[in-house]
Parts: sequence; C-alpha cells; structure tokens
Amino acid sequence: MDDQEFNQLLEKYAEVVVKVGLNLRNDQHLSIRGNVDDAPFIRKVAETAYKAGARYVDVLWDDENIKRTRLQHADPETLTTLPDWLYNRYEEYSKRGDAELAILSSNPDLYNGIDSDRIAITRKTLYQKIVEPLRKYNNYANWCVVSTAAPAWAQKVFPNLPEKEAQTKLWDAIFRACRIYTPDPVKAWEEHIQKLDKYKNYLNAKRFASLRYKAPGTDLTIGLPEDHHWGGAQETFKNGITGTVNIPTEEVFTMPHKNKVDGLVTATLPLNNQGVLMEEFSIRFENGRAVNFSAKKGDADLRKLIETDENAGRLGEVALVPNSSPISQSGILFYNTLFDENASCHLALGSAYKSSMQGGVDMTDEEFAARGGNKSLIHVDFMIGSAKMDIDGIQADGTREPLMRNGEWAFSV
Amino acid sequence: MNTAEFQKSLEKYADVIVKVGINLRKGQNLTISASITDYPLVRAITKSAYASGAKLVTVFYGDDEVFHTRMKMSSHKNLTEVPSWIVPAYTSIVKNGDAYIGITSDNPDLLADVDPEAIAIYRKTMGTKMRKLTQAVMRDAINWCVISYPAEDWAKKVFPKTSAKQAQEKLWEAIFKTCRVDQRDPVAAWEKHIKDLSLRSAYLNKKRYAALHYKAPGTDLTVGLPSQHKWVAARSKSQTGIDFTANLPTEEVFTMPHKDKVDGFVAASRPLVIAGTTVEDFTLTFEKGRVVKVTAKKHEETLRKLIETDEGAARLGEVALVPNSSPISQSGILFYNTLFDENASSHIALGAAYPFTMKDGNKLSQGDFQKRGGNHSIIHTDFMIGSKDMDIDGILVNGKREPLMRKGEWAFNA
Repeated sequence: MDDQEFNQLLEKYAEVVVKVGLNLRNDQHLSIRGNVDDAPFIRKVAETAYKAGARYVDVLWDDENIKRTRLQHADPETLTTLPDWLYNRYEEYSKRGDAELAILSSNPDLYNGIDSDRIAITRKTLYQKIVEPLRKYNNYANWCVVSTAAPAWAQKVFPNLPEKEAQTKLWDAIFRACRIYTPDPVKAWEEHIQKLDKYKNYLNAKRFASLRYKAPGTDLTIGLPEDHHWGGAQETFKNGITGTVNIPTEEVFTMPHKNKVDGLVTATLPLNNQGVLMEEFSIRFENGRAVNFSAKKGDADLRKLIETDENAGRLGEVALVPNSSPISQSGILFYNTLFDENASCHLALGSAYKSSMQGGVDMTDEEFAARGGNKSLIHVDFMIGSAKMDIDGIQADGTREPLMRNGEWAFSV
Repeated sequence: MNTAEFQKSLEKYADVIVKVGINLRKGQNLTISASITDYPLVRAITKSAYASGAKLVTVFYGDDEVFHTRMKMSSHKNLTEVPSWIVPAYTSIVKNGDAYIGITSDNPDLLADVDPEAIAIYRKTMGTKMRKLTQAVMRDAINWCVISYPAEDWAKKVFPKTSAKQAQEKLWEAIFKTCRVDQRDPVAAWEKHIKDLSLRSAYLNKKRYAALHYKAPGTDLTVGLPSQHKWVAARSKSQTGIDFTANLPTEEVFTMPHKDKVDGFVAASRPLVIAGTTVEDFTLTFEKGRVVKVTAKKHEETLRKLIETDEGAARLGEVALVPNSSPISQSGILFYNTLFDENASSHIALGAAYPFTMKDGNKLSQGDFQKRGGNHSIIHTDFMIGSKDMDIDGILVNGKREPLMRKGEWAFNA
C-alpha cells in the first residue's frame, strides 16, 4: 500500500468511525482521547467531524511514555494525585451530551517490569476519581472505541517484523476487520449491523434462564437475570442518538446474574489489561464468585485484578461471537480487547452494563444489583471461545437448545 | 551528530530547562504545554523533572494540523467556543504555585491560508479567556519558562533548501548552541551569562533615562520611559520566591516604554510571525504612544488586525536592547520564531507591559499601573528593529544624551 492509498483508506476509516461509530450530529461537540502516535488517524477524524458540522473537536492527547516514566520515577506517595481538570473535562462533555471517541492502541507491554503495586494504585485512583464518579453519566451520549496501528502495539503483534512493516501489517488487519476495503464501507456496516440485530432479537425472544458452556478446560453454567437484554452492535443514548460503540464489533452480549455463575472456565487467549499481560489462566466460580484461579503468566496481576474490590471477582458480561468471525479467521492474536473480544466468545469480570437489563439505565444501583446486575470498579473482558466450544441455552422449564456448536452459531435467523 | 550524542544533548537541554529555566523545586507540580511533534523533548523534560523530585508532570499537547483544520473549517461563531474546563485547568497552575513550561515549535506559515478575520476572532477569544492567567504569568506569579523544539515544518521554513531531516538537524544544532547546551557545563555557562546581563541592567537602572532615541535606516523613534521603569535581564524571582529564567535562550536587557510617550517611525528589521502568518517589511508610525500608520509589503491586514485587537494593542509594552553580536544574531539564521529572533536584535513589543518592569509594578492595581505609563492589552507581540546600522541614545531628564548603542553594539562598559 503506497502513501496515497493509505491516506484514502485512513479517510474511509475515519468516515466509518464518525458516521457509523459515533453517528455524529451537526453542531455536536466531539471529544477524542488518543495517544500522540495516533496523530495521523486523529487528524482525519477531526477533519471528517468538522465536515459533518462538529462545533468543536477537543483532542486530549496522551503520551504512554510519560505515563510509564511517572510510574517508574515518581515518589509512590504521589501516585494518587490526579489533576482536577481531568474529571471536570469529562463531566462537562458528558453532561452536555457530547460525542466521545476513545482510541485504544496501547502498548501491551507498557508497564513491563514495573512494580504491580504501583500499577494497582494508579488503576484504583483512576477508577475512584474518574471512572466511578462518571458512571452516573453512562448512556448520556454517543461514544465509540476504535484502534490505530500504533508502533509499539504493532511490534507486539508481529514481533518478527521491522517496526514499519509490522505497522503496515497491523493497519491491513484493522482495515480488513473494519470492512474498510469494501467498496462502500458505510453500507457494509449497515448490513452487518442488521445481521447482528437478528441474532440479538432471536435471543431476546427466547428469554433463556441460563447458558451452559462446554469446551476443553471449561464446564460452566451462567444464570441470566429475568430481565436480561441482549445487545448487538448498536446502542441508543439518552441524547437520542443511535451509534455503534465498538468498531469493529461482532458480538451479541448480555449480563450474567451476578450470583448465578458456577463451574470452571479456561481462557483461550492472553489478556492484556492496562499494560499488563496475563496468560493461560482458569477461574472457578461458585454462586457467582471466583473462588479459585491461577495463571501461568501474570498470576499476581490476575489476583490483584480480581481483588480490586468486592465484586471484581464476579461477572458483568457474557458475549457470543462465532469462531468464523473475520477477526478470528485472521488468525492474529491482537493483544487488544477491542479485537480479541470480537474473535471469540468472552466474559467480563466486574461491572455489568445497565443497558444489558430491560429498563436498567433508569434503575438505581441498588435496584440493578437486586435484579442480578454486578457493580465493580473494573470491567475487564477475557476470551473463552474456540472451535471446540459448545453452548446451550436453557429455559426456565429446563428445555435445552443448542446456541453454538464447535464455536459456530447453531441456529439460523 | 549520532543518536547517542543527540540523546545526550537532548538530556542536557532538558536539564538546563528544568534547572536554569524553571529551577524546579522538589515536590512541585509541573505543567508543560507543547505540540505533539515535540514529544522527544517533552519526554526528556519529564524524566529530568521527576529526577528533580516533581510531584506530578502534566502535559497539554496540541496539534498544529488539527488546529489548522478547525481554523479553516469552523464558522466564526464556532471559533468563539472554548471548553469550560480549559481556563480553570490553567489557572490552577497559578493557584497551586506550580511550575510551567511552554514549548514553541510553531510552523510560521501554518495559518497562511486562513481568513485573517477568523484568526483575529480566535486570538481575541483566547486572549480574553486566558487574560487572568497571562496577567499572573506576566507578574511572575510562578516560575515559568518558554523554550523551543525544532519541529519539522518550522525547520523547513528556516532552512528551505535542505531536506526535512537535515533542516531539523541544523535547527537542533542552532538551538543547542544558542542555549549553551554544546558547552561542557551548560548550567555553569548559564550562570556566568546571566551575571553578565545583570551588570548591564544594573548600569541602566542607575541612569534613570527619561527616554531612548533610535536611529537607523527607516527608523527615527523616541521612546519615553516611565519615571519608575525598571530594566530587567534573564533572571527573575517568582512571587513564590523561586529564581527562574523565563526564556531560553535570552540575550536581552529590557524595560517598558511610557504608553503615551512614543513618537516617530520605526521599520522592522526581521519578519514577524503572527499566529501562523508571516508579516514582512513593515513600518509603524507613532504619535503620543499610539500607532497612527501601518505599512507592510506582505500580510498587512494581519498586522492591522493585531493592532486593532484592543485599545492597548496599538501601543508599546516593551523595549529591549540586544547587541548585534549576540550569538543568535551571529548565527545569521532567520528563525521566524520570536524566542530566537528577539534575542538576535533590539526589539519592541506591541501590547501589554510586564508589571515587573516597573518598580513595585507587581503590587499595583491595573489603574495605577496605567497611570504611571504601563500599557495594558490582551496581546504582547515582539517585533525586531535592531541591526548593525542602529544607533541608540539614552536621554537623561536634563536632556543630556549618552550613547547606549553604536552600529548595533553596546557603547558603554558595565
């Protein structure tokens, strides 16, 4: 791909993100959070957004290198410090219903060699001072998460290639997964979204009481709350806009009942969480809680993660993705949740989305919890699907129905 | 310069900025504002700052291209939009007594294709919103420093005939040299230089000149000085009690003119970059302190708009003496960047005067400050007038004249 071709693809990608992902409205503000490495793409998004009539595009530029420097060299007692403006910025935008784009291209090894206590302190600080207080604005406005082929990430995915080639190859994989090579990517997305909606509607009509997972290393029953709601690619926000929160997306998902998960599950892909990598791990659940777990790599980090708070060891999401998804078929291990979760059936430790329960977005935390919704400082997806996974849906009367066989949909819509 | 040498110079530059520039105190927060292209230097400064015991380093990155897109595509109405979080984010720097570093690396032609009216609206909006902060910085409320990074577009403007990579290398070399980073002990070299400049300002402060008279081709200008004027050089003391150096490099000795006592005409000796537009070959005529006539061969409209920003934008706020033999001038490079060009040449500034260039100025109310001759505006824009053909006299209260500069060089011993 030469520079001109690349430039055109980048423009198409920006268009998919602004039109399908955010569905940005004329005169809306757009906030973008990305890394300095993401500049070529962010510039295209800003341009596309202004063309679409954005009133103001505010880019909050991160620099991963500076984050690492701080964790390495700052006095540990200062790690709970965050500037006030950070929360104020998000609150201003959330309250007004501004569109928000987050770019997720972190270096999976960013925090390699850094003391896990230091990482835990900063993670907790971020959750307590930013994520948690902002939760009240969840679903206020259209948001979207996407990725760019940042150099450090590309190098991790293709370790045997020189940096430049690795980046080109990762861009190619991103463009493929995001349907950018199709003649009309926006239209291709509309068709894909419709298809996911059909699966979602089918599952919603069934009202399953639980799901039963079977695969090597996995024998798990997941109870679903009575009012659970399956979501697909799209979500409608309180500002009235319907958007696609993840580009790419291949999943249909809902929430487990926080107290009704039992059995053993084994991860099928490594988990990268904020610069820390956990590999080959299993978790045993009893009455919804992780009671036993171990990882070949990153065992201490997994423990820290699960012990973040009371409910970090319970599940908040259950998602179905066929093994034939284009991302899975690429055969690439992305070390990036946005891609890996769309290659595989997955679960999430921590908070459930209120939108995964009928009427959930209008419930108080207490009502939501009483109906089985989990609440935690974290929400971390991990992959469990494979070509060897079977999943059954079980209805309240015990009737069983195959949902997936050998990793593929077992019903037609 | 190979990579290892370059990395070492970069680290030395970062150390000069942290130690001589802001003179960071242990436990202080530091905010850096920079363009994303400047990240190698931002990262080096961050490391140096944490090594000096910084509590939290916050970086506000911007991007020229995203900014250009906005300036080009937004309606005039939308250009007045400023997110509410920004102003308190900056004012908290002053409130907390944090240190501040601003990195300049702007492409001098960034906004050349943007409507001057749009630029004027943007400048005025930001100038008004940030007024409190600018005023606080101009009063030396905190330890702050402005430095530069040779971003590609700027380097290409300075060295148009070389490749982008070579241009950047050449501009790095010029920055390292003028910031004394090429010397064995840059921090010690700075201490000596600052002392030399302080002797000049002490001499001028004793004289209590009533006015300065400038003569050069295209220039015949008399600049009256307030009776309480104060000459300042390199080293300042913040209201938080920290000695700092606000500009790296710095070669100037400067004070404020009396806002109502500037008469005559002056020709700029170097182009002036105003928010991404390069104004060239311009002259200004003053009567009783006010600009009454403007001419420019290129981008006159942008200069006119600047002068019309507010009442004080048509008056002077700074007068600075720099010998033509300054290392920056001798480099022969036209930098298209005020930080460098102002240190290559005697210059004056349109707009606000620094309160610290008047005796007790930091403590005066705005009204009293103006009564004593201090100019007030949301702008402060330096432009260069010095050359090897310039003579400057100091005029004492009794009318006696003394030579301060002859043919662009100091004409007195301090």
